[in-house]
Amino acid sequence: MNIIFGIILILSTTLLIFSNPESVLSAMLSGGEKALNLTLKMVVVYAVWLGIFELMDRSGLSKKIAKLLRPCNKFLFGELPDSANDYMSLNISANLLGMSGATTPMGIKSVLELEKYPNTEYAIAMFFVINATSVQLIPSSVLALRTSMGSASPSDIILPTILATLVSSVVGVLLVKIFVKRKA
Amino acid sequence: MSGYFIPVLFFIILVFAFFKKVKPYDAFTQGAKSALPFAASIFPYLVSIFVMTELFEISGISDGVTAVVSPILKVFGIPKELTKLVLIKPFSGNGSLALLTEIFNTYGVDSYLARCACVIYGSSETVFYIAAVYFAGAKTKKLLTPIIISLVATFASCVFACFICLVV
Repeated sequence: MNIIFGIILILSTTLLIFSNPESVLSAMLSGGEKALNLTLKMVVVYAVWLGIFELMDRSGLSKKIAKLLRPCNKFLFGELPDSANDYMSLNISANLLGMSGATTPMGIKSVLELEKYPNTEYAIAMFFVINATSVQLIPSSVLALRTSMGSASPSDIILPTILATLVSSVVGVLLVKIFVKRKA
Repeated sequence: MSGYFIPVLFFIILVFAFFKKVKPYDAFTQGAKSALPFAASIFPYLVSIFVMTELFEISGISDGVTAVVSPILKVFGIPKELTKLVLIKPFSGNGSLALLTEIFNTYGVDSYLARCACVIYGSSETVFYIAAVYFAGAKTKKLLTPIIISLVATFASCVFACFICLVV
């Protein structure tokens, strides 16, 4: 991340010094403003979902979901500590159901939990790649946009989209299996 | 149909909690409490990502890279009109949504390019954003391999998208 960030910042400021020096600070500030707006939105989304998750936790529902997904998790990640398995199961079910607001808090908790244990690099890498290539069953925002712009058949992109996200997930999982070393 | 999904899900969760004698108000409040520190811990990472994206766009790097990369992507069957979308998508969800709208306006909602753009948009995630957020509090610094893998996988789905839209 440091390398990418460094290169992009040095390159872009160098270019802007020659073309448009006034815009450097204003662009950075507007980036910060967007980040703040998003954070504010996220606080609310997190609050609601974390509230719901706490209910599921205390009632034992999340344990049940975790149990259900255990074989699938074992295939993808190998042996997992129980606590991490719980969070990851919730994250993956939220991913599958397309509840984008719910995936993030559980995702962060999963990574923090996994980090507490040794030799979980492989699981963390796999977990990240699965989230970054997530399987989304219904691309609702695109559908809404197509409908509002008067498409003749807004839904004809659903099947190709599902297939394409499957491609990215399968490629991602395979690449992790090949390139990231699994320590026992 | 999909409108019922979330309310029904919440209903099930609440009824289940009721039968398990969970105190719903206490539990919900307890959970919601961690939202603010959570978001606060992510904020600095988001600022960095957004500052980077903004500079990337405004400095003309993104146009430059687009021009250089276009012919390469063409080889993989990705039309040059979609190069920018493929490049921006890993950085910014909003940016790529704006591009998508632009493509709709320029080429028509039901054109091959527009359908292709939809599939590309819908099938990939904002990889850098996810990396920043998920690893906000993490000590792991070994992110390069997973990020590259995700980008390669995303690219594979873009190539696939352009192909499948020719067929369907």
